[in-house]
Amino acid sequence: MNAAMVGLLLLVPLTTVASDPDTVPPVMPNSVAVAVERALPAVVKLYGATIGTAYGYGTGVLVSADGLVLTIDSVLLDASNLRAVLHDGRRFRAEVVRRDPVRELALLRIAGQRLPHLTLSPSQSLLPGDGVLIAGNAFKVAEGEETVSVFHGVLAARTRLELRRRAQPLDYAGEVLVIDAIASNPGMAGGPLLDTRGRLVGVIGPIVEAGATNTRLNFALPAEEIEPFLLGTASTRPAEPPEVASGGRGGKPYLGIRLFRLGYQKVAAYVDRVAPGSPAATAGVRRDDLVVAIDDRRVGSIDEYERMVSRLRPGQTIRLTVKRGDDVVEMKLVVGEQPQ
Amino acid sequence: MSSSPIALAAWTCLIVAVGAMSTDQSVGDAPTDADRAAVVRAAVARVAPSIVTIETIGGVQPVEPAPGTQPARRRGGTEFRIADGPTSGLIYSADGMIVSSSFNFARDPSVITVVLADGRRFVGRLLARDSIRRLALLRIDAADLPAAEWADPAGVQVGQYAMACGRGFGGAVPSVSVGIVSALRRRSGHAIQTDAKLSPANYGGPLIDIDGRVLGICVPLAGGGGELAGVEWYDSGIGFAIPRAGVEAAVPRLARGENIEPGRVGVLLEMKAPESEEEGEAAPRVQIVGVADPSPARDAGLRPGDAILALDGAAVGDVPELQRRLSDVEAGTVITLTIERAGQSMDVKVKLAAARNIGSFPQPPPVGPPTTQPERPPPS
Repeated sequence: MNAAMVGLLLLVPLTTVASDPDTVPPVMPNSVAVAVERALPAVVKLYGATIGTAYGYGTGVLVSADGLVLTIDSVLLDASNLRAVLHDGRRFRAEVVRRDPVRELALLRIAGQRLPHLTLSPSQSLLPGDGVLIAGNAFKVAEGEETVSVFHGVLAARTRLELRRRAQPLDYAGEVLVIDAIASNPGMAGGPLLDTRGRLVGVIGPIVEAGATNTRLNFALPAEEIEPFLLGTASTRPAEPPEVASGGRGGKPYLGIRLFRLGYQKVAAYVDRVAPGSPAATAGVRRDDLVVAIDDRRVGSIDEYERMVSRLRPGQTIRLTVKRGDDVVEMKLVVGEQPQ
Repeated sequence: MSSSPIALAAWTCLIVAVGAMSTDQSVGDAPTDADRAAVVRAAVARVAPSIVTIETIGGVQPVEPAPGTQPARRRGGTEFRIADGPTSGLIYSADGMIVSSSFNFARDPSVITVVLADGRRFVGRLLARDSIRRLALLRIDAADLPAAEWADPAGVQVGQYAMACGRGFGGAVPSVSVGIVSALRRRSGHAIQTDAKLSPANYGGPLIDIDGRVLGICVPLAGGGGELAGVEWYDSGIGFAIPRAGVEAAVPRLARGENIEPGRVGVLLEMKAPESEEEGEAAPRVQIVGVADPSPARDAGLRPGDAILALDGAAVGDVPELQRRLSDVEAGTVITLTIERAGQSMDVKVKLAAARNIGSFPQPPPVGPPTTQPERPPPS
């Protein structure tokens, strides 16, 4: 901590805030301007496909000196005249290098050299309550050669959420960094999430709602989700919770549970039948049990049950929670492989 | 006086702790919320004597948006209605000049009173409005008032803390919203942008730094330039304040009773794709579809079918952007529009006129595909 304090104090300018010459010049920053100065030159405004009668617009961040721009995948990029405007007002044509449809990330290239850029920094040490900055062209307030807007807030939560766009669940199931600054305005997506030292710890996500609240989510994808994409090693599979992704073999997951089907989509996951000798039978699941959670994640409907089971891996051990009458019963269950 | 060394030390600790990304609870002098709050309260206390409460009686809801602009819409789709106040102002000079936002007088109130921080109440006279910067200047018959102290404009930087203060919620002390300076020289250079939450609760009040010195006057300033434009962005984290240079430029004129108004070109505009031999790909652009008579556009020879490519040399993106930029330019100013007519691009000088000097549009705007009659004479 002491070393960090000394280091940071050396970085910050000793701002003179006194207007009265008799007062001692205070030794303090009155701002997060150091972080802004460090990071802002790497932020670019993007203009692309026309949406309705207005130009589509967004934000990106330079991640290499030779013109790689990280941003969020969207229809904005489906333009033959995709353009990037740099911090200093220079304009470039941009081309899409690659896209990740699950994380909705995209990498662009502009033909520049020795450009200001940021490198990813781990987000893990960022705790709820820590100060953060976001930057982007919200409502394209930054016109012409103007620089994007900067907003200050704190990290509100690091969590996994069901994300929706117009009621449609998205595939992305990785962590999100929820912030209390308004990141969900048009034009902000693709902008950087910075810590108060100006380090790139995430990228502002697209405009989506959180299933849990049905409200627009102010969030960023953490650096840990972005790094494999930048390195070109990311799979386009949904980013899955580690406990689900680890362990297990190939093949389709099988529990041996058939649920009551009543013709409605959104019904609770009541067990209709347990296949004899199946993993569920071995664990002790019974007819009329109501599945309420898998690995402590709520199962709200048959749909959710099926989505969650489809992400399991044969060989993996899960904790199945059922409501049986007025009791809650927990069982360990080893996921099997779907019989041919 | 300036902020106390103790409060300053607290801020130093706070910023270092946040910067180091992990707050070590064992550090004895670790910053607390109380330290931060003390700094905020000290700053507000310093400017508070200069913040006045403005109360108005009479007047009506503005209903007619200015020509070519959209009425301000509240989030959710219903039209914004001005409430009954109170609103905020700032003592500009010891001899009774009060600067506020023109938003606070959009109802054209018949009676204005100004209540000072010490409780004294005066009748206020509205001298004039600046409808570009959304400022208003009042005078009260008082002397030896505590004029607000301004921060040095040269020292204002993006990322510094900024707090919006106002009297719109009543109470013994001004309300405060804490943010940072988000950008400088916004809105054609007129405004500071902040993520402090600006709304009718503090329009007309000061945006201050952490020492309680004034960075700017809070105003609504988004949108295409109608009387309430920008209010739809209230509390959004996108707020604007007019810095010292803008206030100092406007005040002498307002003090003479001179209203400052945006100029109009007198055209109807649409986004239309140009006629093109190539397959698709022709991006739509801003095109004139109607010319008012009388109007500066008519005087300058602009015609329906002309595409507007640039304003004063800076490329034009779409209609809302052009309208917004024009709303920053004062009536009487000569602008240069770069237009394209029949494949030829040319510069046209247009002397903008006040809205009241713009006539009607003689013909309904053409509908359907882009007009192919660039040589058609202007409407008469």
